[in-house]
Amino acid sequence: MKMRRLKWFCLLVILTITLPCAAFARDIAPVVSRDWLEKNLNDPKLIAVDIRKVEEYREGNIPNSINVFYGSWAVKKKGLDNELPEDDDLFDVIGSAGIKAGSHVVVVGKTDTVADLVNMTRVAWTLIYGGVENVAVLDGGFNKWKDDKKTIYKEVVKPKALEYKGKVNKAIFATKEYVLSKIGKAAIVDTRMPDFYFGVSKLDIVEKPGHVKGAVSLPSPWIFAKDGTFKNKEELGAMAAGVLGKDTSKETIANCDTGRLCSGWWFVLREILGYQDVKAYDGSMQEYAKDPNAPLVKYSWQ
Amino acid sequence: MYKGLLIDKGIIGSDPHFSDSCSLCHKGNEKAQDRKVAHKGMIKRPSDNLQICAPCHEDIAKTYKNALHYTTAGQRHGVMARFSQEELKTFDAKVFEKSCRSCHASCGDCHVKGPVISGISTGLLKGHRFVKRDEGKTCALCHGGRVYPEFTGEYGGTPDVHYQKGMVCMDCHKKAEFHGDGNLYVSRHERKNKPACINCHPAGQEKSEKAKSAHTTHTDKMSCASCHASGQYRNCYDCHAGKGATSKPGFILGLNPRDKKTITTLRVVPTVRDTFLSAGIKMDNFDVLPNYWDTVPHNIKKRTERTRSCDVCHVDKEGFLTKEQLIKGGAKANEGLIYTPKQIKN
Repeated sequence: MKMRRLKWFCLLVILTITLPCAAFARDIAPVVSRDWLEKNLNDPKLIAVDIRKVEEYREGNIPNSINVFYGSWAVKKKGLDNELPEDDDLFDVIGSAGIKAGSHVVVVGKTDTVADLVNMTRVAWTLIYGGVENVAVLDGGFNKWKDDKKTIYKEVVKPKALEYKGKVNKAIFATKEYVLSKIGKAAIVDTRMPDFYFGVSKLDIVEKPGHVKGAVSLPSPWIFAKDGTFKNKEELGAMAAGVLGKDTSKETIANCDTGRLCSGWWFVLREILGYQDVKAYDGSMQEYAKDPNAPLVKYSWQ
Repeated sequence: MYKGLLIDKGIIGSDPHFSDSCSLCHKGNEKAQDRKVAHKGMIKRPSDNLQICAPCHEDIAKTYKNALHYTTAGQRHGVMARFSQEELKTFDAKVFEKSCRSCHASCGDCHVKGPVISGISTGLLKGHRFVKRDEGKTCALCHGGRVYPEFTGEYGGTPDVHYQKGMVCMDCHKKAEFHGDGNLYVSRHERKNKPACINCHPAGQEKSEKAKSAHTTHTDKMSCASCHASGQYRNCYDCHAGKGATSKPGFILGLNPRDKKTITTLRVVPTVRDTFLSAGIKMDNFDVLPNYWDTVPHNIKKRTERTRSCDVCHVDKEGFLTKEQLIKGGAKANEGLIYTPKQIKN
């Protein structure tokens, strides 16, 4: 009897530990190598989505990859840049790319600038929001694929469009009201460069300099090595732990200027390091700093 | 060294365009050893003279000499009604030939080297290869103020749905629009067989009843862009000869000046009363033409605020031109474009 009880107890403990992980279980790694992609290009479940400009894709692309330009995934809405499309518009974009909820998607972009790098993570965030869980980013993007002298096609692949009706994942999305309600409760990560966080610099599109009260600084450009690849998991984990602590269950909200840069740390925290409750604030400082009642901190590292 | 001017040596043996010599097109003295002597009499844009290409591309050269991209007649036609006869003569002599006409496209501007815009060229398209089409490096430059950046979303923030689906200029605009069809047109509006939405999206194929009903209700009353332009596009203001114009984003709906029975998206043209004053042209008939012209913003989307809710137009009247919004000092003809949408009767 005692043994049976112990068995059930052990099972319960195992389930408690593994269930949150199972919720984020992936069939493909969040960051895939060029070699991996090359080997899996003919996998019928896999769709490589090239998010570079149409002209760049036509100039040369990864065999079998399809082109859905970055601007399809992040649009201007009510004066704010890089916003999520409306759900029905997003479903149209996903469906027209032939992506199903169970597809394995690899996002391929450029690595010329930090914006190019986080375009890939931003599209990954958008796809996961749209209900596609297995989304990966190609490490080093198209640039490294080309540097590795892998096969490059000039053919334009027309995706097999389908009707997509997914279930949006609101758990990874934060509004301004939500951020305000979580000040002092959740970890808020400002992913811009430190001078923006500190308030000595700001973009023209952001009304006032500074950061959300209580936010910590963890810049997204630091995720990547100089060659545009991701830094290794250990280093990224140590950076995250140094700023956010080791409790991966604590709610975390990433923000930046327009909701693009913050997708970098959102992706690393949730998809690579397994933090369980990470949101990205789509409106970010472009929206937040317009609100005279939203607490903004300047000239402070806290 | 300016890399854009370097020629890819690998192509010299493989491309029939190089079978003779550089000097066949560019002139100069290829036997000379001294740089200065070699370049004496060199022609930078040889295909400005269509006869350079005509021996091999006779048909195209024949039609292109009348094509709007070569004659730039559209620019003259767009303003000439504002001039008296005397002023038109001055315009032709002082402005059109020296300014407007300098923007015409030579064969090479589209097939060899990106066109020069404000003195700047992006250089050879592909190491002096003769390229069939490369819209991003050719069309995108001359139409880089309006149209192209709206199409890609770089201006306005939302790319055109056709760009999202991988289409570029020549997927809709066919060869005859560039090379001409032999007829001498004064404006692109005279041309037949222009791209039209209904060519690919004929009425009656809508997937939802809502779309079907909206299209039926508004057919022949509104242009497609009135509802399907996703948002703001570039409007240019205050152009003065030699100084250029300023621009700002806007979304304007009103009556089509070419067909006052329909409502369409309007774009501000930058001609103001003293645009050509430095050339001695006062524009005696300035008020005859409006400052707002029908436009098809290249930022089309399936769903927009206006397709989502009738109230955006019929209650809030968003975007509709009003008397208060008219540009100051504008033409009297502007007032004829104002339209106030009616409330929907229940």
